[in-house]
Amino acid sequence: MLALELAVADGPATPVANEVASRSLRQIVWARLRRDKLAMICLLTLIFLYLLAIFAPLICDLLGVDPYSFDKESISDSGGGPVGPWGGISTEHPLGVEWGTGRDIFAQLLYGLRISLLIATTATILTVCFGTVLGIVSGYARGKTDAVIGRIMDLILAFPFLLIILALSGVLTQRLTQLGVPDGNPSRILYLIIVLSIFGWPYLARIVRGQVLSVREREFVESSVAMGASRFRILFKEILPNLWAPILVYATLTLPTYIGTEAALSFLGVGVLPPDTSFGGMLGNSVSYFSVVPSYLFIPGTVLVVLVVTFNLVGDAVRDALDPRAGRV
Amino acid sequence: MNKTSKGLRLAAVGAVVALALAACGGGSGSSDAGGGAEPTKGGTLYYLTNAEQFDQIDPQRIYTGEDLAFFNGTIYRTLTAYKFSPDAAEATSIVADLATDTGTATNGGKTWEFTIRDGATFQDGSPVTCADVAYGTSRTFATDVITGGPTYAISMLDIPTLEDGSSAYKGPYTGEGQELFDKAVTCSADGKTITFNLSRPVPDFNYAVTLTAFAPVPKASDTGEKYGDAPVSSGPYKIESNKNGKGGKMILVRNDKWDPASDDYRKAYPDIWEVDYGLDVKVIDQRLITSSGNDATALALGLEPEQLGVIYKSATEANPEFAGRAISELDPYVRYLAINVQKVPNLKIRQAIAVALDRDALRKNAGGDFAGDYADGVIKPNMGVDYAPTGMWDSLLGAKIPDAGDPELAKKLIAESGEAAPTITFDYPQSPTADKAAAIVVDSLGKAGITAKPNPIEPGQYYGVVFDPEQAHELINAGWGPDWPNASTIIPELFTPTGGFNLSQYDNAEFNAAVEAAKIEPDRAKQAKMWQDLNTLAMKDVVVVPTRFGREQRIVGKQIGPVYLWPAYGSWPYGEMYAVQQ
Repeated sequence: MLALELAVADGPATPVANEVASRSLRQIVWARLRRDKLAMICLLTLIFLYLLAIFAPLICDLLGVDPYSFDKESISDSGGGPVGPWGGISTEHPLGVEWGTGRDIFAQLLYGLRISLLIATTATILTVCFGTVLGIVSGYARGKTDAVIGRIMDLILAFPFLLIILALSGVLTQRLTQLGVPDGNPSRILYLIIVLSIFGWPYLARIVRGQVLSVREREFVESSVAMGASRFRILFKEILPNLWAPILVYATLTLPTYIGTEAALSFLGVGVLPPDTSFGGMLGNSVSYFSVVPSYLFIPGTVLVVLVVTFNLVGDAVRDALDPRAGRV
Repeated sequence: MNKTSKGLRLAAVGAVVALALAACGGGSGSSDAGGGAEPTKGGTLYYLTNAEQFDQIDPQRIYTGEDLAFFNGTIYRTLTAYKFSPDAAEATSIVADLATDTGTATNGGKTWEFTIRDGATFQDGSPVTCADVAYGTSRTFATDVITGGPTYAISMLDIPTLEDGSSAYKGPYTGEGQELFDKAVTCSADGKTITFNLSRPVPDFNYAVTLTAFAPVPKASDTGEKYGDAPVSSGPYKIESNKNGKGGKMILVRNDKWDPASDDYRKAYPDIWEVDYGLDVKVIDQRLITSSGNDATALALGLEPEQLGVIYKSATEANPEFAGRAISELDPYVRYLAINVQKVPNLKIRQAIAVALDRDALRKNAGGDFAGDYADGVIKPNMGVDYAPTGMWDSLLGAKIPDAGDPELAKKLIAESGEAAPTITFDYPQSPTADKAAAIVVDSLGKAGITAKPNPIEPGQYYGVVFDPEQAHELINAGWGPDWPNASTIIPELFTPTGGFNLSQYDNAEFNAAVEAAKIEPDRAKQAKMWQDLNTLAMKDVVVVPTRFGREQRIVGKQIGPVYLWPAYGSWPYGEMYAVQQ
């Protein structure tokens, strides 16, 4: 009312007032987020890391390094270890070279980041899509639909996830190849994305379903039902906006978990094929040389920590922006 | 050899016992006994291992060099045995053990006779007779029960084979064909003299019987498949307890029925042997380097690459603080990439693969000088008379090939082959180091226009996969060491269809005939020349691409001796090791 009166009283200000009144949820959140300095720093760091990954070939070209060429000069002839301290850090190889082959660590890191982020990001997006849709449907529909989806979730959660991934990798990557996915890394990466999202969505779906169960009893939902809104509108326009907080938090936690899972799977031999290395492969390799060349572990380790922390902080900030009343305890 | 026994053999792979060796340039100080003290009886020796159990304990099933050396030195006596010596020539000569001498050959090498020594007993005090040796030998024929062991008894004894290639004797459990075996292996009435009748002259049969596959087993105690759980000892120790898995131990205590007078081969110094299973490799290295408490009398089998710089000054010399307890010696194995000739029948293409391969990078990745020397064939220089340079990288392929490969020449060879540049798949057992080696293979073949795809295989299933013709690809990672110092345990095994390790699926009638002739050649010098020529021939036909004559590093605690890599098996000389008493 006040705004309206003001608008009437103060003609020139009208457009501004109108603009304020018509701000969408997204705009509100963005405005709040912009005020959070820490969140902005993290967001920029994340964007920077993604840019590094996306433009890895370009950056490597500029620096004159590449992850596949063997530099025999940079490793010792007895033992195969890097010549020079800290894993052979030099102007030629800014982060050192790999033990035994002399491949550049910096280039491997960028290319590895590329593969790891590709897998983790895609799998997270798929997980969130499946989890949200099925969670909302399950929570709102109740009854038989809920029971069926719920049992499917139970079934997937009960599966020994890691063992299945290991056991099926050979067969399923072959099947993907038959379906026309290029042999080798494309089919292996696709396989990882598929299994990670298939085994990941039930966790989110359960959280979403729980939220939906409480939200669906709220007045605004009942009033839209009374007004004859379509089910699609109720689910995705009325209920979904109230779920963004848990979904975003879950997504920001899932992405780093997937990077870690991919690392573990690479270590167990389901990851990408040589000569490519993923982030996980680099971490796995570093273990054998930890006491001599700790930088092999610390370099990818630091990047992983930065990724995880920034994702979590951004997730936190987005949740706060979405729902300022919840606040931090 | 029938299919089953073939399958079995494969499983034993990597394992192959090895013999021969040495030469090893330098190996400084490696043969000095730790501490330099006189060996005395007493104490406990600890064997620290990453493995959670021994592959096999059953004498007829053991096939890894290290295990043969360990169990032969402690609980299983064999008719003959290799001399304890750091010197290759001496260590690859045999001495009498359970027999009174190293055997007598008659009938042109087709009949071998051994006399059992007086006073040799099992752990229950009953005497070892030739019937026990015959019974032990017969167990190898039960290929459905006794799996994994060497099958020389089956291929050498004069027992007919059935149409499917398997032996007409099916082992002691079914008893089928027992009369055939009893005719081939006879035992004198006094239980002292055992006679082996062979299907062809085997001039080195007395070397074959060093394998525990020919060790005695008392029939009454044989529990078939489970015999390895409670085997009967004939040596100076017996198994007191054995618990597999992480934190598990095997304890060997003195066998009080063993009469030292009947055994001048084993020294039996320590009172107890303790095997500690399932330890982390890094922890083992660290414990041996520190060498405090019990670890002063501990030994282990390998070293992680990261420790090499700590322990060694160079690939042949240890740092002063480790002098006398760290060794770096040529091991018995040759590493190579087998080329599946069924899938790559064109010789020029095979030559192109060999020429393009960057062996320099592969060797560096494996550890450079520490990993050994470039190989030029499947017979190693430490094999003695059987080795002669094949000239593979000098002239055999038409030009001198640099260690780093020659992509231009490879391209030329592909052009000459009349085929398009091939796409091949490289099978290898997965590990972080092997992944890097695969990257090198892919990269160096790629430079010559050959598209190589890496195919990592879970190590435990590796040989099962690559020996299945359906699943094996064009290029296969492998390694082999001889079973005794005669290339008859290399060339026929690797390059003939009856061999147990013919990953290349090579079947060349002319070559097979030459192998058969070499096998029965009684004149050792002539035979050696034949093996040398066959080795060269196989390299000329590029059946395999030899990459490396392997070298191995090991350390022990401060109070254990003697410290040398026993060339007989490429192992520790378990039978004469001792704890230095304070």
